Amino acid sequence: MKQEDTTPEQPPPARLPLWANPRIGLVVLLIALIALFTTLRPAFLNTQLTLVPMQADISVYAVVGLSQLAVLSLGHMNMAVGRMAAMSAFASGLLHDRLDAPLILALAGGLAMGALLGALAGLIIAHTGVNSFVVTLALDFALIGLVSLLYATFTDGVAFNGLPAGMSALRTDTFADYCAGDVCGPEIPLLAPIALIAVLVVGLLFRWSRTGREVLMAGSNAKAAQLSGIPVRLRTIQAHALSGLLAGLAGFLLSANNGSFSAGVGDGFLLPSFLAPVLGGTLLVGGAVSVLGTVLGTAITQVIYKGLNLLQFQVDELKLYIGLVLLAALSLDRVRHVLAERRGVPA
Amino acid sequence: MMLLAEGLTKSFPGVRALDGATLTLAAGSVHALLGENGAGKSTLVKLLTGVYRPDAGRVVLDGRDMHFASPLEALHAGIGVVHQERNLVPEFSIAENIALQHLPNRLGMVDRARMREQSRRCLDLLDLDLDPDTKVAELSVAQAQLVEIAKALSVDTRVLLLDEPTASLTGDEADRLYAIVRKLTATGHAVVLVSHKLEEVFAVADTVTVLRDGRSVAQAQPLSGYTRDEIVDLMVGRAYASVELAARTVDRDATPALELAGLSTRHGHRDVSLRVARGEILGLYGLVGAGRTELAKALLGLDEITGGEVRVHGVPVRIRDVGQALRRHRIGYVPEDRKGEGLFLEQPITRNVGVTVWRRLARFGLIGDKAERDVVAEYTRLLGIRAASPTQLAGQLSGGNQQKVSLAKWLAASCDILIVDEPTVGIDVRTKAAFHELIARLAGQGMAILLISSDLPEVVTLADRIVVMGEAAVRGELPNDHDYDTVSQRVIRLIHAAPAAA
Repeated sequence: MKQEDTTPEQPPPARLPLWANPRIGLVVLLIALIALFTTLRPAFLNTQLTLVPMQADISVYAVVGLSQLAVLSLGHMNMAVGRMAAMSAFASGLLHDRLDAPLILALAGGLAMGALLGALAGLIIAHTGVNSFVVTLALDFALIGLVSLLYATFTDGVAFNGLPAGMSALRTDTFADYCAGDVCGPEIPLLAPIALIAVLVVGLLFRWSRTGREVLMAGSNAKAAQLSGIPVRLRTIQAHALSGLLAGLAGFLLSANNGSFSAGVGDGFLLPSFLAPVLGGTLLVGGAVSVLGTVLGTAITQVIYKGLNLLQFQVDELKLYIGLVLLAALSLDRVRHVLAERRGVPA
Repeated sequence: MMLLAEGLTKSFPGVRALDGATLTLAAGSVHALLGENGAGKSTLVKLLTGVYRPDAGRVVLDGRDMHFASPLEALHAGIGVVHQERNLVPEFSIAENIALQHLPNRLGMVDRARMREQSRRCLDLLDLDLDPDTKVAELSVAQAQLVEIAKALSVDTRVLLLDEPTASLTGDEADRLYAIVRKLTATGHAVVLVSHKLEEVFAVADTVTVLRDGRSVAQAQPLSGYTRDEIVDLMVGRAYASVELAARTVDRDATPALELAGLSTRHGHRDVSLRVARGEILGLYGLVGAGRTELAKALLGLDEITGGEVRVHGVPVRIRDVGQALRRHRIGYVPEDRKGEGLFLEQPITRNVGVTVWRRLARFGLIGDKAERDVVAEYTRLLGIRAASPTQLAGQLSGGNQQKVSLAKWLAASCDILIVDEPTVGIDVRTKAAFHELIARLAGQGMAILLISSDLPEVVTLADRIVVMGEAAVRGELPNDHDYDTVSQRVIRLIHAAPAAA
């Protein structure tokens, strides 16, 4: 607490150097990466081959990132994002398969399943005080078994046959396929606006809503939050429920992308779920989130993925590089934190 | 002269914390280092103990120039320190904590027998009857403080620096600590004492250095040459008048704003009764561990109430949590542990103050930035919170300003019953006086205030009546005629009285 006893007059808070502002750094990095890959493989800017599928992937994984961000706000983790997504996809698939539910009801059912599982995790964490990492890891383990059992019971074992009407359009169509007279939409997949809505809602929640702000305060100092009248347990449950709901949405988007509700949805969610928020400047200790940063973090990850893919790197190599990116991002997170502390400005 | 620090200068980005400060220290004496918050006391202590390195100046110990690269080097040179913040590892035993910086080892393993024996010797030096195997987490605050001193003495220490050693101790415990300090000086140790409590300083110190704005304005002068007021003048650099608080009239016959009737709690409180009227300040005095903070927390629903009744404006209530206390009964609580419980250190001032009013400001669950800014600006101005901007992080403010932020959120939420727990611990003289004026003003506006404090002069200055607590029960209640000598005698007698038969 050196500041406390050595500062007769508060010095004006210094600004962080530009490179330490995560958002601007990410935009520069994103542009640089796109330029790099385009130079190496001009096909990188090919609409059908690269840009449209990449936008679809960014849409899916941005929501995956937001799902983790929802609990990082508390300084918690959700190790079960993938399985919550799988359970959610199962619920949607079952509703359609057995009850012939239309698209919107299948989606609602899936989201409800995700939110419920998240709320369950939150409830256990809030009332037992057990570390979120442990609780969600155990939940993930249990759900792995449950997902296989359920798919074995209700389907041929791997996936439901068929999608609700309209869902395959989400997969195949872009706005360019819809024309009013001669004017057609841009080459943006139909998934994108759904993800955009999620981004806006989550952004609004943490920036301007009382609930979201109180979640952040609880993440910042749970004791002080309790003593300021914030219902910390309720906020914990809500944050985890939001995480589950977003995991469910991500599961739905990926199912649309894949063309089926399958048991494997969400298998690859865990790492990207941390990668995007942390790259984007969200603190692992809680109390601060960056929704925009998460979107940028997702975009960068997917650009690297697609770029290396085009350069014909193998899957294992891809994993290696993405893992390294995460390590670098985490180190930068620490550097940024230390720097912010020294300068006395919010990280 | 045992230790000489000369022309010490140290700057941090944007501020010169020390500007050629000088300190001389003789063996066998207690030397007081005084100054307001921000005068540079802690920086000086940290320079002497190798935490920081000086930009200019030198430190001479027994005629040799010292250049400490780390606190460990300073310790091995014989300079031990007890910092203001706790530096013990709660999960470790006393012995492990004391030996932490120089674990005796045998074949690469910790030599536990020797470690225990070493720590035993340190504890004996302080007449501490504690089992070295006890975990620090199980100690009381006062015991932990003494263990910190034992740790500082664990190497062949000859200079001991104590930074606010009694901030969390009661009068008795402080007396005990100072008895140990005198014993140490009798054996040739030199002690530097940093403290805000001038009564204690005058009781224990031989010589004094006063820092103001990073410079020494009085250097190694015998303390007997000064009066209390003269020292305060030196510290603040202007003629200082002790606070004259406006007289208040309290209508004691009206229904009390807050009343506890025969309250028992799971924490062990028995039959606690007290009442605070509108416009009244009730001082709740007692030793640390008397259960005053715990009483406040039980009242707020954080601990279970097992018997008796709480009445707010005459109506019996059951408070479930702080949120309910605030919304339904307009009770606010400013906790003792500012940094751990009162503030969100990594959040801006706006959020720290705004947190209690979001509910009121929200439209469809959303909070307008401008509405929040306006409320925060109003209370920042009202309380005179000094900050570079409203978005400055609470962790970056000085202690006094932090405390004001911690208080501001309750004023913004228009509380009319306020519980303030040790409001001025670690706050300098001038800020403290301003704080006292503020609390008196709030009471003058009709707020009912329960003042929990272990600072007897503070209680005597502020309170209308004083309730003395000991061992989770009320020992007695007395009116306060603001005459420190008579009131303090009666309070001390109550403290030492045998607990009333239950």
